[in-house]
Amino acid sequence: MSRFTELLKTGPISGFRLRTKLLLLALTTLALPWAGCQYAREMESVLRESEQQSLLAVTTTIAGSLKGRQEMLFRADSLPGSEGNNSRDITPVVLSGAPLIDGIADEWDTDARNVVRVVGPGNDSLQLLAATHERWLYLALLVRDNRWVFDASELTPLDSESIGDRVWLAFDDKRGGQQRLFFSSAGPGAVRGRRIETLEYGRESAVEEPRIGGVWHRSRDGWVMEISVPLSMVGQHLGVLIDDRDRRGAARASYGTLEISDLRATGRLIAASPDLNDHLRQFSQPGVELTVASDTGAVLTRLDAPALPGDYTRMRGFLPRMYRLFLDGGAIPRSVSQAERERSAQELTQRAARGRAETALFAGRYENSVIVAAAAPIFSADGRRVIGVIQLAQTADRWLTLRDRALTRLLNLTLFVTLFAVGAAFWFAGRMTLRISRLGAASETALGREGNVSRLLPEVDSRDELGDLSRSFSSLLGRLDEYTGYLRTLAGKLAHEIRTPLTIIRSSLENLESESQSSKEMPENARVYIARAREGSERLGAILSAMGAATRVEEAIAHSERQRFDLGALVRATVAAYGAAFPNRRFACEVPADAAHMSGAPDLIVQMLDKLVDNAVDFSADGATISVALRVDDNQAEISVANPGPPLPPEAATRLFESLWQSRAENDTPQGRLRPHFGLGLYIVRLIAEFHGGTARAANLPDNSGAIFSVRLTRW
Amino acid sequence: MKKNIAIVEDERAIRDNYAAAFAREGYAVRGYPNRRDAMTAFAARLPDLAVIDISLEDEPEGGFELCRELRGLSAELPIIFLTARDSELDAVSGLRLGADDFLTKDLSLAHLIARVNALFRRVDALRRPTEEKQVIRRGALTLDSERMSVTWNGQVVLLSLTEFWIVYALTKHPGHVKNRQQLMDAANVVLDDNTITSHIKRIRRKFQVVDEKFDAVHTVYGMGYRWVE
Repeated sequence: MSRFTELLKTGPISGFRLRTKLLLLALTTLALPWAGCQYAREMESVLRESEQQSLLAVTTTIAGSLKGRQEMLFRADSLPGSEGNNSRDITPVVLSGAPLIDGIADEWDTDARNVVRVVGPGNDSLQLLAATHERWLYLALLVRDNRWVFDASELTPLDSESIGDRVWLAFDDKRGGQQRLFFSSAGPGAVRGRRIETLEYGRESAVEEPRIGGVWHRSRDGWVMEISVPLSMVGQHLGVLIDDRDRRGAARASYGTLEISDLRATGRLIAASPDLNDHLRQFSQPGVELTVASDTGAVLTRLDAPALPGDYTRMRGFLPRMYRLFLDGGAIPRSVSQAERERSAQELTQRAARGRAETALFAGRYENSVIVAAAAPIFSADGRRVIGVIQLAQTADRWLTLRDRALTRLLNLTLFVTLFAVGAAFWFAGRMTLRISRLGAASETALGREGNVSRLLPEVDSRDELGDLSRSFSSLLGRLDEYTGYLRTLAGKLAHEIRTPLTIIRSSLENLESESQSSKEMPENARVYIARAREGSERLGAILSAMGAATRVEEAIAHSERQRFDLGALVRATVAAYGAAFPNRRFACEVPADAAHMSGAPDLIVQMLDKLVDNAVDFSADGATISVALRVDDNQAEISVANPGPPLPPEAATRLFESLWQSRAENDTPQGRLRPHFGLGLYIVRLIAEFHGGTARAANLPDNSGAIFSVRLTRW
Repeated sequence: MKKNIAIVEDERAIRDNYAAAFAREGYAVRGYPNRRDAMTAFAARLPDLAVIDISLEDEPEGGFELCRELRGLSAELPIIFLTARDSELDAVSGLRLGADDFLTKDLSLAHLIARVNALFRRVDALRRPTEEKQVIRRGALTLDSERMSVTWNGQVVLLSLTEFWIVYALTKHPGHVKNRQQLMDAANVVLDDNTITSHIKRIRRKFQVVDEKFDAVHTVYGMGYRWVE
C-alpha cells in the first residue's frame, strides 16, 4: 500500500491532476471484464472437459454393447480383406429416409466420397452410388453413354441377336455362392433383375428375381438406373458391370466393378447390418452423431445427429463478436473444409483402433464452431482384438453459445459498471477538486497582506476529511489571528508601557534643570549632558507617539462621520496651502472645474493628502514640482500625487502601504534623522482610502523620473 | 496660604517628581498611591486641586472612580487627569466625569504647571465679580478669559481647559485661520494632528448641545481652523 501511494506521488501519473488520477483509477474496473473472461475461459474448459468425458463415457458404453458383435458390424464374422483393388469397394451412405426409385438421380450426392467411378470405352463412364436405408441397399448407376440400346423384346432376353445393352449386378450370397443378375429393358421405366438359370438339357432361361428391381431413365448425357436390393441377400462383395453395345447383337464393350471374365464381384460392400442401426438408434441423442467404422477405419454406418431442441444459434452483433475475438484469441480453430474434418475424424478413429478410447476437438462446419468427438474401440468377444471403432461427435456450439451468452451479459454489465464507475469517479473527482480548490483559494486569501485574518473557510461543516482539514485550517487561522492581533497591538502596548519610565526620566530631568537654574551649583558640562538627555528622551517620546499613531488613526477613522463635500474644492484649497507650508517645492494642481461632490470624511481626505504630499516632499529635491491631480467619473474619484525623484524599489509597490514598512533608507531623506519614520504615512493613506471604499497604489513614472501615488475613492 | 495639590499616582518616582515641581512653584503637595488612601485623606480635607492618574495600583479604572467621588464632594474643585493612556475613549470618559482637563504624560512639567496655575486663576476669578475687560463677545458667544467660562446665547458651554484655550485662540481674532501648531501652542500642549482634530470635533459638539445650528468653527483645508461669526 505504501508503495502504491508512493507510486501515486512519484510515479508516472504523479504529474496529473487529481481528476485524471481518479479517472485512471476508475479505469482499473476494466480489469473486471478481464477477470470475467478468465473465469469464463476456465469455466469453458471445465465444461468442455466434462463434455468430453461424458461423451467418452457414452462412447465406451456403446462400444461395450457392441463387444463381439461382428455380424452386426459386418453382416459376417469379419470384414473381408481387400483383393487388391479397393477402388471397387462400395461404402453406402446410411440414409434416414428411403430414396425414391424413379430413375432420376437428383437426390444423389455425386460429389460424395463414396462414389465409385469407372471409365468405359470412348467417352463412356460410370458413377456408382450406394446407400442403405433400413434393410435395403440402394444403388444408382449414373452412366454417360451416347446411346442405350434397348432389347428388341422383353420376351427374348437371351437371344443373342436381339439383345441390347445390359447391366450386370453380382454379389456373394450368405451361403458363399455367387449371384449374378442382369437388367435389360425394351424401353424406359421399371426394370427387373433377372438371373440366368440353366434348365434341363442345357437350356438357359432368364428367371426374374422379384426382390431386386429398379428403374431406368434417360439422363442429360446418358442414362440412370436406380436399383434396390434387400441387404439380407447380399454378402460381403458386390459389383456392377455394364455391357455396352453399339447395336443389338453386336459385340459388347464391358466396364464396371466386376471381373469381366467370370462376372465375379471383387469389390467389397462395406455396410453394417441393419440391426446395427437399430441398435445404435437407442443411443442416439440430440446433437450427437454416431459413426461405426471397421478397425481399418472404413465407415460401416453413420447415424446423423437429430436436431437439438432450442435455439443455439450464436449471438450476432458487434459486441459479442468483439468479445469472442477478445476471448478465444484463436484458441478455437476456424472453420475447415469437409475433407479436413473427415481426416481429423479418421485420425481419431485410427488412434482408437489401437485399443484406447480417445477424445478430440475439431473445427466445426461454421465459423468458430467446434466439434467434440470421442472414439472407443469395439473389441472382439474375447477382448483381444479390436474389431471396430465407434465414434461420437457432438457440436460444441451449445455450450459455446451458452458461454457467449453468459459472457456477453457479463461484459455488457461490466462495461456498464465501468462506465458508471468512471462517470462516478469523474463526478466525485470534479466535486473533490472543486472543494479542494475552493478551500485552497479561501486559505490563500484568508491571510491578508496586513495580517488580518478571515476565518470564514468553506467546508467547515463537512464531516469528511476535507471538513477536518478546513477545521484545522480554521483553528490555525484563529491562532494566527490571535498572534497577529497581539503583534498589531504590541507596538501600542509597548508604547504605553515605556511611557511611564519615560515620564520618570523626563520629569526627573525637568526637575534637575529647574534645580540647576536656581542653585547654580551645577558644573557647565553637566548642563550639556542634561540637554542631551532631554533631547534623547524627547526623541524617545516622538518614537512612542509614532508607534501609537496607527492605532489612533484607526480609532479616528472608526469615529469619523461621513458628510457630503466638494472634493475638487478641497483638493484645490489644500494644495494651495501646501505652497505656504513647503516653500522649497512647487505644486501643480490639476482639478476638474466642476464641483466633484462625494460623501466621506473631508478631514481624513486632507490628512491623506498631507501624508501623500509629505512623502512626495521627502523624496524630491528642493525646487522640484509636485503634481497633484484629481480625476472623477460617475462613481469614482482618483487623486494622484507625483514627484520627481528616485524610483521605487521593485518590491515596494505592494508593500509601501503596509504598517511599519520603510523601504527607503533613512539617509535618503534629509529629515529622516530628525523625524522618526515608521512608514506610517502611507499606511494611514491606505486606511483612509479603504474607509472610502477605495485602494491606494504606487508606481514609477513612465520614464522612471519619479514616483506616482494614486488613491482611488468611491464617491458615494 | 499655600494651595494644596493632591497627586494620585501609583508610580512613586513620577509622583515625587511632580510633587517636587509643584513644591518648587510654592504649592503644598500631597501624594497618594491609590484611591483608598486618597479618599481617606479627601474625606478629612479637600485639596485645592487634584491631579489623578487613571490606573491606580490594582484598579485599572480607579482614577475615573476617584474623579466621580471627588466631584461628588465638590463641584468646583479643579481636577486634572494625567495619564499614560491617550485613547480618545479615555479622554471622552474622563472629561464627561467632570474633569477640567485630560492630559497625557508626554506633557512637560512646565506645561503642566501652566495649566495648574491657570486653573487656580480661574478658581480665584470665580470668586470675584466679573471684570468686563476680560470678556470677549462675538455674536452669540461670550468668553470670559479669567473665569475660563464660555456661554453661547447665554447658555453655559462646559469646556475643558484645553478646549477653552483653543476656542480662545480662535475667537481672539475671528476670521483668521489658526493652524494646528498655533492651536497647540495656545493650548500649551504638544498634540498630534488627530488629537487637534478630535478636540475641534468635541468643541463643535459641545456647542451643538446648546445650539443645534452652531457652525462657527470652520475647517480650512490644508491650513487649519477659523472662527466665523
